[in-house]
Parts: sequence; C-alpha cells; structure tokens
Amino acid sequence: MPALLELREVEKSFGGTPVLRRLSLAAEEGEVLVLLGASGSGKTTLLRVIAGFESPDAGRLILGGEEITALPPARRRFGMVFQHYALFPHLSVAENVAFGLERHGLDREERARRVAEALALVDLDGFEERRVQEISGGQQQRVAVARALAPEPTVLLLDEPLSNLDPELRDRTRRELREAIERVGITALWVTHEQQEAFDVGDRVAILEAGRLAQVGSPETLYQEPASRFVAGFVGRASFLPAVAADGGTAILGDERFVGGGARWPAAAVGPLNPGDEVDLMVRPEGVRLVALETPGSLSGSVLSRRYAGEATFYRVRLDEAGEVVVAAGPEDARPGDRVAVAPRVGGLLPRAFPRSAGAA
Amino acid sequence: MRGRLGGIALAALLTWLVGYPLLLTLLEAVGVPADPTLAHFAEFVSRPDEWAALWRSFWISAASVALAGAVGVPLAFVFARTHFPGRAVLGALVALPVALPPLVGVIAFLFLYGESGFVTRGVQALLGLDDAPWRLQGAGAILLVHAYSMYVYFYLFVRAGLARLDPSVEEAAAALGAGRWRILTRVTLPLLRPALAGAALLTFMTSLASFSAPYIFGGGFRVMTTQIVASKLNGEVAMAQVETVTLAALALAGLAGLLRLDRGRMEVVGGVRGLAPRRRVLRRPVARWGAAALGWGVALVLLLPHLTLLLISLVPRSTWTVELLPPQLDLSNYRELLTTPERLRPVLNSL
Repeated sequence: MPALLELREVEKSFGGTPVLRRLSLAAEEGEVLVLLGASGSGKTTLLRVIAGFESPDAGRLILGGEEITALPPARRRFGMVFQHYALFPHLSVAENVAFGLERHGLDREERARRVAEALALVDLDGFEERRVQEISGGQQQRVAVARALAPEPTVLLLDEPLSNLDPELRDRTRRELREAIERVGITALWVTHEQQEAFDVGDRVAILEAGRLAQVGSPETLYQEPASRFVAGFVGRASFLPAVAADGGTAILGDERFVGGGARWPAAAVGPLNPGDEVDLMVRPEGVRLVALETPGSLSGSVLSRRYAGEATFYRVRLDEAGEVVVAAGPEDARPGDRVAVAPRVGGLLPRAFPRSAGAA
Repeated sequence: MRGRLGGIALAALLTWLVGYPLLLTLLEAVGVPADPTLAHFAEFVSRPDEWAALWRSFWISAASVALAGAVGVPLAFVFARTHFPGRAVLGALVALPVALPPLVGVIAFLFLYGESGFVTRGVQALLGLDDAPWRLQGAGAILLVHAYSMYVYFYLFVRAGLARLDPSVEEAAAALGAGRWRILTRVTLPLLRPALAGAALLTFMTSLASFSAPYIFGGGFRVMTTQIVASKLNGEVAMAQVETVTLAALALAGLAGLLRLDRGRMEVVGGVRGLAPRRRVLRRPVARWGAAALGWGVALVLLLPHLTLLLISLVPRSTWTVELLPPQLDLSNYRELLTTPERLRPVLNSL
C-alpha cells in the first residue's frame, strides 16, 4: 500500500520543552493508524500538527506526494473529531453536519442528501432536526464523525474520541465508529492512551514515548515482537528476568539459547548479542507455565499473589535466583505461598532477550 | 420548601425595592388618591418636546450600545486572543473606566476634549487654527462619553465569554473549511450571544439612566433624564412623575426585547473540561507589533481621562491659565482637601 500521509522528522516544542522529537511516520491509504501513548507522550500534539492547528518547528508533512506543512487547517481537507465533540451548540444536528458542505457549492437538495447520507453512516438516520443537546454523548460523538465525514475528507483525525464517554457507552461507540470508518474506507489517524482501544480499532499502532516514535506495527507485531523494553511493558503484561546470553549470540531472531539460573530457555534476541552478554529476558504471562518442582529447565520460586481475571488466572512468582515473573495458568493451579517452578510454555510466545544497556532503545 | 420561602422573600424584597417606588411614582403621576386624573398623561402625549426627549433617550441608548460594542468587542478579542508585550497589565487597566463614577468621567472628558481641553488645544496648536477644532456639545458629545464609559461592559462580558468558549469548537469549524471571517460570524459570535446580550442590556439601561453626560454636554439637546429634572425645577411635579413612568416603561421594553434575543438554546455541549483557552501567538513581527500598538494605543486613549484627572489634581490653584501644559505641579490640593473641614466633609459623606 502506498503512503498517503507522511511525516518527516517533525519537531515541535512548547516554551523550550520538546514535545515531538524528529518524528517520522507514514499512514497508508485506507488504514486506521492509532497513535498510542501515555499522557505527555506528544500524541495529541502530533495530531494537531497534522490537522494544522500547530505548525511544526522543523520537519515536513506530505499528503499524496504534495507538501502541506504550511497549509492552514481549512485547506487541508482533513476531517477532525474532538475529545469533547466540539459540536456547534447553536445549530441543529443537520446544520452541524452541513457546516462543512457550505463551500462545496451544492444546492439545497444535494446538501440535504449528503447530510442524510452522512447521518446514515453513523446510524443516526432521521436525527436531522434534533438539537445537539437533546442527544446522548455517544450520539453526539457520532454526529461529530458524520460532520467530519460529510465533506469527504482525505484523512479522518480522531483525538481520543471515546474518552469523554461513560464506560458502558464506550465499547458500543468504538464499534460504531470503527464500522463507519470501514464503510467509507477512509484513512484514519486515531489518538488514544488505552492499549485495548488501540488494538481494537487499529490496523497498525504507533507507540509514542516522550515525543519519539517507539515502534509502529500491527497489534500482533507490537505484542509478540516489541522493539524495546518500553514497548514490551506498555503493550500488555511483561516480566523481565535477568539472564546471560549463551551461545549463538548474533542478532538473528530465532531459537538462540540463553542461560538464567542454570536453566536454559529458548529466546529471540533483540539486536546483536554475544555469548556472555547480560540481557533482560522479556516473558509474557502466557509464554510460561507452572510446572512440578525439579522439572528440568525450570526455575523454582514462591507464589506471591494470585489474580483471577476470568479468561485466565495470573500468578506472581518470586524466583529464587532473581526477579519476578507473572504466569498465566488455571484458576486452581496454586495458592499464595506455594512453592512452584516456572518453565517456558512449549509452542508459546518466545521470550525475548534485550541487551541490558538497551533499556530505552 | 426552603427554596420556596427563599423565593417568596426575594420576590418581596424586589417588590419593595423596585416595585414599590415605581408604583408610588405611577400613583403620583395619575394623582391618586387626592385627585385622580389622566390629564398629565394626556398633556405629556400632546407635547412634541416630550416625544422628542423620549425618542432621543431611545436612540442615544441604542447608539451607545452600538458604539460601546464597537469599542469593547474588538478590544476583548485583542486581549483575549493575542499575545503581545504588556498584555496582562493593559488588559486589567482597560477595565478601569467602570471604576470611574459617571460625573468624574464627564469632568475628565471636559478637561480633555472640551473647548479648552488638552487634546482640543493640542490639535488647535498643531493645525494652527484660530478656534477650537470642535465643540464638545450635543448628541455627539453624549455618545462619546457613553461609548467611553460603557464599552467596559462589552469588554468584560465578551472577555469572560471568550475565556469560557471551547477552542475546539472554532478549530472544528476551521477543519471543516471555514475561514476566519466565517468562524467569527457563524460560530464565535453566535456562541457569545449571551455575553453580547448581557452587555447590550447593561449599556442600554445605564445609558437610559445617564444624567451627567446629557446634563453637562447636552445643551439644548434634552433626553428624558434631563427633561425630568427640568420639569421638576419648573414646579411641574406631576409631569416629572409622568416622565419618570414613561422612562421606566421604555427601560422595561428594552429589557423585554433583549431577553427575547437571549432566549434559551445556549447550553454548551460536551463541556470544556481541562481545556485552557488557546491564545494565538502572533508569529509574524508585523502582526505581533500591530496587536501591541493597537492594544497600547487604545489603552492609552481609554486611560487618558484618568491620567488627566490625576494631572489636574496636582496643579496648584490659579497657576495654570493659558499654557498648554501646567507649569507647576505639587500636592497642595490634596493638602487643602485634608486640612479644610468643609472640603473634607463631602468626601466622608460619599464614603
């Protein structure tokens, strides 16, 4: 897929504090690209730079091969959906949706048709004459999406579109917005700080860390092959165990052997490694299992806590050698205080070995 | 139950403070109870000068609203939306005229723009004219003073309104292809309607009730307030009451009209949680210094009356006659005020 929207080494600082640092990113045509990050990571600023509400201190924005860095928001033809909806309270639902159509030189009938179409996209047929105050928060956000889509923008930008909704409305609205975006087939950039939401709606997810792009990829890639300790910890649960690289030690991903406390676990190396290098072994809860004590290749320890989460039960185990690891297992497999052993799950997610110095890679 | 009692108490208080005097005036105007008659009303209706005064009160007030808005609204936008050196201090200073009692403002204007005022004589000297370039008299003078002392209502209301406005609403309009003018007329101003209506109402009412400016600058140009005083001075007490009732009726009509304008439908959707109003940082030097010059220039003009009063209060008695600027400044007036009992008493009474 060709890149529709490209950011090249974008920088932005506010009052001397850098918020975006040489950030490059490309959105492919028709994909939903989620910008995921903690608060202060620069994700909203990045979206505002793309929308044209902030101008970057350095770097360029390219849309379909043409530079748009200096173009004002009104001429970018991007649809924008705001956290607090930002509907026009003095206008009806139809007038809100028609706002972006006024400059298209459409006659009254054509405009009404486009408004009805846009409202149908978000399942709000027949809401034209309603006042925006009369409808629920989820409906207001869908009106905002219809308003943004009506002028047929090239890219849809959504700034934490669900964060202002009650939890019970959030799931439904998320599904509805995702469906509307799919129906139109528009390229969308969706900002959120929630990993679950990012994985739910994103074809790809870009993780921002302190104004830098930490990693971009499909949810599967981010979860299974995080490029850094930060990404590994930010996306899902991860335990880090101190270990030493065994034989093989080059940068090839595969079944390299690592030692930790005398047990040899298979692992994938992140970056070049030599035998004897100190590493942090990242382990996902479902990548390990509880086994009988003294099982060859296992590490012994004691259960610190047990957390039942429905689909799995998570046991936090303090290992005798060093470190703590969270293990997903059956609900009755152990109790706090029990002596257990932990081993890699055969065929499970391969542990990943990060060079010790590469904490912020 | 408590709320209802409170409501009754409030209604009673309002009736006593507002309704009772109005009723008394109305009763006196129709001669109740001594000599019930509508003759004074009939006479009022038959006199063209009364109609003229009523009409002038109305249009002076309407024009005051327009002029005060024309000064106050742009000023509020400049101070709320742009960044320039001195913005914070000036922003507070330009609200000062509201602290100036009406008569004091009028006196200050006399010293500034009157026939022998600073500005008048400055312009006269600059252009080498034989006479003063203008006379501070009539409707123009009244409107000037009104615009000066009442723009603050618009300035304060609109600034508060702009501070509460969710900036993303305007950004949404921009993202939908609206230029600055369309955002202003289709989004910002409609959203500021409660603020504008409130300021217009206050200006209209204050202007209707304004006395010092028409009294001092009006000359032969009578409005209702000066007409009432004139009637009273002529001994036509009943006519003065009729005029008062008419003025009150005009005020109520104005109130009703403006309330209609501000009716309902302005609740803000979604709220503005956690969003600070965004101030445009003017990047281009021209825009930046333009805004600064505008801010400082306007503020200077608006603060001139205060500065004038301050200056004049420092001029010792009979030392300033024909010079453009006072030759001598000291604190002798203040000393005299504090040491002479008959001069100090009115100050204490005012306090």
